[in-house]
Amino acid sequence: MLYNVHFGVYVDVAMPVEDKSKSLLPFLSSPKLLPNESEAEFQSGLQSLLSELDNPSPLAVALVSQLNECLWWIRRHTVDKELLLHEAMARLLSREGSNWMGSGNSKLSVALERYLDGSSDNDQAALIEEALVDANLTLSDLRAKAFKDAARHIKMVDDLIHRQHQTMRHLQRSIDSIDYKSRLIKRMDLELAALESKQPLKGVLSLDDKPS
Amino acid sequence: MTINHRRSLANRYNALKSTGPRSVAGKRASSQNSRKHGLNSAPEFESSSEYRALVELIAEEGFSAFACADIASGLLNYRRVMDAYYDTYTSPEPVDEFLRDVNVKGSITIFRELLIPSGSEPADVREMAAFFASMQRQERRKGGPVSRRNADTHKLIRYQRNGIARLSRAVRQG
Repeated sequence: MLYNVHFGVYVDVAMPVEDKSKSLLPFLSSPKLLPNESEAEFQSGLQSLLSELDNPSPLAVALVSQLNECLWWIRRHTVDKELLLHEAMARLLSREGSNWMGSGNSKLSVALERYLDGSSDNDQAALIEEALVDANLTLSDLRAKAFKDAARHIKMVDDLIHRQHQTMRHLQRSIDSIDYKSRLIKRMDLELAALESKQPLKGVLSLDDKPS
Repeated sequence: MTINHRRSLANRYNALKSTGPRSVAGKRASSQNSRKHGLNSAPEFESSSEYRALVELIAEEGFSAFACADIASGLLNYRRVMDAYYDTYTSPEPVDEFLRDVNVKGSITIFRELLIPSGSEPADVREMAAFFASMQRQERRKGGPVSRRNADTHKLIRYQRNGIARLSRAVRQG
C-alpha cells in the first residue's frame, strides 16, 4: 500500500525496513528550495550525511534530512547577513548623499549590489562613486557605518543561525539514540542466538525450562 | 511634483477615511488579515494518512505503540513549523517604496490642496504631514526585503524550539 508521507513521497509500508530507508530518499529529496538554489547540491549534502550512518532506518533518514535542512537554513541566513549589510549601505548612501529622491533607493541598491560583486556597468559604477563622494565616505567607511546601522537586524539573523545550531544538536542526539537502540537490539539478538545455539549441545535446558 | 505622486498621496489620504469593509464577504476576508502562520492552532495529525504511514514505519523499528504515536506527531508537528518558517521567509511584508521614498515636507502643498477645500484648518494640514512622516519612519525602520523576511522569520523561533524539543524528547524516550 502506498502512503504520501509528507513532502509528497510515496512509501510502501509493506517493504522491508532497509528498502524503506532507500525509498524515503526520493521523498526527502524534494525539499522546498528558493529559485536560485541547486537541488543537486542539496541532495549531495543529504547523501554525504547519510553515508556516515551504517544502514540507516527510515526514522534516521527522516531525522538526517531535517538536519540537512538546518544546514541549508544556516547557509541562507549567512548569505542574508551580507545582504543586510548591502541593504544598509545603500540606505546610508541615499540618506547621506543627494540620491534619495534623485535616483531612488531601489536603483541605488541594485547598483551597489552589482558594484560590490564587480559586475556593475559604467553607469552603475559612476552612480556609486558619485554617491560615495557626495556622502564624503570611502567604501570601507560605509561598510563600517552600515554594520552599526544594521546591527539590530544582523543580531536577528544571528539568533536564527543559533536556533538552527540548537536544532541540529537535538537532531543529532535523537539520531544517536536511535543508533544506540538499534545496536543494543542487534547485540541482544546476537547474545540470544549464541545462548540458543549453545543449549542443544548441552541438551539439558531450554529457555522455557524452570531452573531446578 | 508629478501627477502620479499627487494621485498616490490623494489615494492614501482618501484611504484614511475608510471605515472598513461593509459586505459580509469583505468582513470575512478582513477577519483573516491578522492571521500569520496558524501555528497557534492545535493540529489534528491522527486522522491523516501521513501520520498512519509514519506510525507503521516507526513501529517496525521496535518502538512501543505509544512512542510511535508520539514520534510521528512530533515529526509532523516539526515539519508544520518548518513549512511555516519557509513560507514566512519567502513571502515577507512588501516594501512600500512610495511611502519610504516620498518627500513629506515637499508634499505639504498637496496636503493643503486636499484638505483646505473640505474646510480643514492649517493645523490639520500639519497634523496630516506629521502622520505621514510617522508612517514613513515606521516603514523605513522595517528596512528592506532582507531585513523584513528575517524579522518575520525571527518570530517563529519559539515554535521551532518547542517543535524540535518535542520531537527529540519523543525519540529519546521511545
